[in-house]
Amino acid sequence: MKKVVSEISGTVFSLPWLIAQDNGLFTDEGIDMEFVRTLPTGDVEHTENPEEVNPVLQHTAFEEAKVSIYRA
Amino acid sequence: MVSQALITRPDSEHNYPGTLGNKSIAVQFHAGSHYVALRLLEGYIPSEKIKLVHYGSPQNRFEAMWNGEVDAALVMEPWISLAEKLGCKTLCEGHYLGAENASDDMDQETFSAINRAVEKAIDMLNENKRKYLHYMIEDPRIADIIKKYGGLTPEDFHLPRLRYIKPTPYSDEIVEDTYNWMTRWGLLNGTACSTDLVENRITASIASD
Repeated sequence: MKKVVSEISGTVFSLPWLIAQDNGLFTDEGIDMEFVRTLPTGDVEHTENPEEVNPVLQHTAFEEAKVSIYRA
Repeated sequence: MVSQALITRPDSEHNYPGTLGNKSIAVQFHAGSHYVALRLLEGYIPSEKIKLVHYGSPQNRFEAMWNGEVDAALVMEPWISLAEKLGCKTLCEGHYLGAENASDDMDQETFSAINRAVEKAIDMLNENKRKYLHYMIEDPRIADIIKKYGGLTPEDFHLPRLRYIKPTPYSDEIVEDTYNWMTRWGLLNGTACSTDLVENRITASIASD
């Protein structure tokens, strides 16, 4: 089995992935899938300037190589 | 494929996007809500009157709209259905293509295996979308917030809004059009080249299957 860790951000993006996991479809393909759910951003500083916001947003686990795939 | 809707409170004076010039609209910068807001609003109001404010997560944006901190917000499901159930007004909405973002070290065989599993799940989902909406309602990160606002059931969702299609490579035309649109809005450094930014890995996957 190949181990894969995937980020789950908004559920609407990952609905097929959750269905695949709960119905054994990843296992059938030889994939040992693990999900890491990102947490909501919590309080953020409000700004009208996009340059003041880090475009990585909450996808830090991917940037830190703790997950190997995410969708958005 | 995901939809972001521009919503206002039930008692809002705004009934279509054209009156939102210089009015605060909650989005998450550098994400779908940001880009869809620009794409939708530029057809109604001059760019210099589009006033987007970074509020982060969909929950933050929804609550900022509901509490009156902002005049409107861009949200996706299940927040659209929750807003509509509460009587909020959807002024307009737009679908956009999502993307799978894989790390450099993911091999082609693994990526193809994942996609085969996801494609089977998409078939299951499209056969009976309502059956699987509990995943959105019961998401442990937001379930309590949804309950706080009265809760949702699968029957509250507008099913045609939920469009799940199998992984498809971006066409060169889509990449180029999007690149040009982003540089026009100053969202991308004009010295970057679209071919440097996009690796259509799914193309190789399909070709090898």
